[in-house]
Amino acid sequence: MPTTNITLSLEIWRQKDSKAKGDFETYKLSNISTDMSFLEMLDVLNEQLTREGSDPVAFDHDCREGICGMCAAVINGIAHGPEPETTLCQLHMRHFDDGDTLVIEPFRSRAFPIHKDLVIDRSSLDRIIQAGGYTSVNTGGTPDGNSTPIPSATAELAMDAASCIGCGACVASCPNSAAMLFTGAKISQLSLLPQGQPERKERAMAMVTAMDKEGFGNCTNERECEAVCPQGISIRHIARMNREFVKASFFA
Amino acid sequence: MLFIQFFKSSIGKKWIMACSGGFLLLFLCSHAAGNATLFNSLPLFQAYSDQLHSHPLIIAILSKVLFMVFVIHIVTGVVLFLQNRKARGTGYKVQKRAVKYSQASRTMIYSGLFILLYILVHTCAVSFGDHGTIGLTISYLFSSPLVILFYIISFIVLAIHLNHGFWSMLQTFGVNHPEYNTLIRNLTYIVPVFFLLIFSAISLLFIF
Repeated sequence: MPTTNITLSLEIWRQKDSKAKGDFETYKLSNISTDMSFLEMLDVLNEQLTREGSDPVAFDHDCREGICGMCAAVINGIAHGPEPETTLCQLHMRHFDDGDTLVIEPFRSRAFPIHKDLVIDRSSLDRIIQAGGYTSVNTGGTPDGNSTPIPSATAELAMDAASCIGCGACVASCPNSAAMLFTGAKISQLSLLPQGQPERKERAMAMVTAMDKEGFGNCTNERECEAVCPQGISIRHIARMNREFVKASFFA
Repeated sequence: MLFIQFFKSSIGKKWIMACSGGFLLLFLCSHAAGNATLFNSLPLFQAYSDQLHSHPLIIAILSKVLFMVFVIHIVTGVVLFLQNRKARGTGYKVQKRAVKYSQASRTMIYSGLFILLYILVHTCAVSFGDHGTIGLTISYLFSSPLVILFYIISFIVLAIHLNHGFWSMLQTFGVNHPEYNTLIRNLTYIVPVFFLLIFSAISLLFIF
């Protein structure tokens, strides 16, 4: 695909701090190479803003190679932008046309307070993990490799769930701001593997309870989370969590 | 305590919706089966009604259970709707769905409330009337094209509600497996269309 330069109009949510009332600001950006990533485009904007002496747009980012789950924004109504199974940093400007207007909003949920501009506080997800996302490991010598047999299909399924990078796009895209895909993936990952069995029921109870306490919404099976998840995690893991939670509630 | 804790949780409420919805779906099956006697003749339908109402204990228990399940399904649905609206906080400027066909899931609360309106009309017009002459009641009711139109619109809304409801119920029960998902996807169309056709055909019987 040949590289071209495009001109964009950006409407970005600007909010000074967590207490301030934010609003949208419009910026014009010209000469954006289509080879740039979305975050590189924001870097160009921030250089421009800095030169003008105004406050650059705050946004989260870390690895910029699609594996850390740090970058997060809603582009024209879709979390992580229009490309499926892509994080924002891996979204490239070639997917946009010259003259496009991009509305850039932070992930919105009552459980994700905004720190500044597009930077949100996702520690509510950390607290769900703290409630039960661990396994007991005996101290002593290192166990031999492959000493615990796990069927290949099960290992693959657990790995699918474990690929969650905790970006929060599921919450952002859910019409109810539910964190079910995140929690479902985390519960599934450990309940599928033999190492996760000792705490299996406690974990399901503790993580769902922690999720409810954070003020996330309820799941009504809208499937939006699965559609925007940059790791393509299936709602099959939510179905598994539903089973796990019932088993833990009544047969613990 | 265990039960209260379960049903207060987000997943517990999902299970309430799915279980009550499943019960209502079974009721719909029995209702369709009973009404299907109309395809034979009005006297047979009257005979079916007389037979049914000759067991007052069964009627008393089932109608009360049915009423309670309806109330549970509606109240939980409204609570979910209100709670979920609050969970977002500030809304998005651009509201867009990534899922292609989400009309049914998006409108569950509205289709549900329309069905409630239909049920109020239907029970007032038919169920609370004299069961000894129910055959006459319905043949009189369905002589009006406006009534037929209202009934058919309601059945379409019901089919839309079931399109998401049926699949959603299975997902909540944890039934989601690549091996069965094609079958389930087909059933999400077959089940609603089945009820739409059978009930619409019955309401149209009297003008032909």
